[in-house]
Amino acid sequence: MAGKNCVAIAGDTRFGVRNQTVALDSNRIFKINNRTLFGMTGLNTDILTLRESFKFQMNLYNLEEEREISPKTFAHNVAQTLYSKRFGPYFITPIIAGLEGEDYTPFLCATDLIGAMEFPKSFVVAGTGEESLMGVCETFYKENMEPDELFEVISQCLLAAVDRDALSGWGSVVHVLTKDGITTKRLRTRKD
Amino acid sequence: MFTLGSVLDNELKSTVEDFSFETNFSTNQLMLPNIEKPFEFAQSIIGLEKDLQENENQLMFHQQKKEERKERALIKGYKGTTTLAFIYEKGTVIAVDSRATSGQYIASQSVQKVVPINSYMLGTLAGGAADCQFFLAHLGRICNLYELRNNETISVAAASKLLNNILYSYRNYGLSVGSMICGYDTRGPQLYYIDSDGSRLKNSLFSVGSGSPFAYGVLDAGYRWDLSKEEALDLGRRAICAATFKDSYSGGTIKVYHIDENGWVKISDDDASELWYEYEKKEKKEKK
Repeated sequence: MAGKNCVAIAGDTRFGVRNQTVALDSNRIFKINNRTLFGMTGLNTDILTLRESFKFQMNLYNLEEEREISPKTFAHNVAQTLYSKRFGPYFITPIIAGLEGEDYTPFLCATDLIGAMEFPKSFVVAGTGEESLMGVCETFYKENMEPDELFEVISQCLLAAVDRDALSGWGSVVHVLTKDGITTKRLRTRKD
Repeated sequence: MFTLGSVLDNELKSTVEDFSFETNFSTNQLMLPNIEKPFEFAQSIIGLEKDLQENENQLMFHQQKKEERKERALIKGYKGTTTLAFIYEKGTVIAVDSRATSGQYIASQSVQKVVPINSYMLGTLAGGAADCQFFLAHLGRICNLYELRNNETISVAAASKLLNNILYSYRNYGLSVGSMICGYDTRGPQLYYIDSDGSRLKNSLFSVGSGSPFAYGVLDAGYRWDLSKEEALDLGRRAICAATFKDSYSGGTIKVYHIDENGWVKISDDDASELWYEYEKKEKKEKK
């Protein structure tokens, strides 16, 4: 979700196999650099593979370009990586959130599993509970929120949505990215 | 689609021998649609996830039929549950969760999965909610009529047999009932498991639903015939709590009931998630 010169990503931390919950601490939101956060939902093995793959690509980028990648460029990189597997795709839904340029303008991007990009101004959702999330975010979102308020809103949206989805929950984490850095908080969710 | 009128008519028409062969095995108790092959139609409109998945392999070369079936699935089953019951020296303990899911969407967190049949018998609900609710209420009516006609309370064995026979006559119609009939009668605490496939099993402990493997783990480890009442209630509660934690399709609130010679009593109604956090805290304290 985007606020005033800040963005936030929240996600649950459940790892399960169909109905059985296997782990409570699977982290799916990764920091690319101080300006970009990257979250993925979907097949766990693809999430792990792509995390390593993007880490490698970003390290190479840093060495060659001698600068940090901007969120928009990273988003395009993600889309290209996913489309390269057009006929045998990675089964993930990625979300990129970051602060672009000198003015720290919020940047959000969501793509589908084969790299079709979308750049909404307000919020992006992904996952098994994405329909619930869409509804709740639509209701609670407002423009130009300060970081504290953004944290509250995104937390409430996530908690409300995961309580209506059987396959989400069991712990959650929220990252808020401002020009001063990233704050990470864990929320107490329902464990049923 | 189904009406109560035809059921009650049949009841009133029955003769002195009210459990006559004809009445119970009659397949015309519930109205069927007035078409050529009602049985096939009944099967085709059930949209239970399980059935769709099972038939996916068979219909692999008939993609069109599968799409048709999904579209025509008018009856969406609310499945996913954990219920358990066990008998011990002092009576019967029943513990249930309260979540209903439709696919992965949580339709409700406050479903009543225990249906009273009479003052000393309870039935649990698993599988299709509407099916269970109707047939357990119907069983309650039959038991009441039995008591009025015969001037004695019906035994759990007889009540479960009646339900079993009715469900057997609707076998293969796409009903989904996985109910446990629990009670206390002259033979002591009794527990029967009744299925829409027609099974009727007697045992001292059962767990039914998507979360039952997880509940069995805790239940089997702690079960003994000579438990005290407190221990037995705690065991039932813990088993359901473990199941709600592990199984995504179970959750909501945990309700515990107890049946002894005085009838059934609702013991507790706790939020599943809060209970889990409490148990975690207790364990940490004990470790210290």
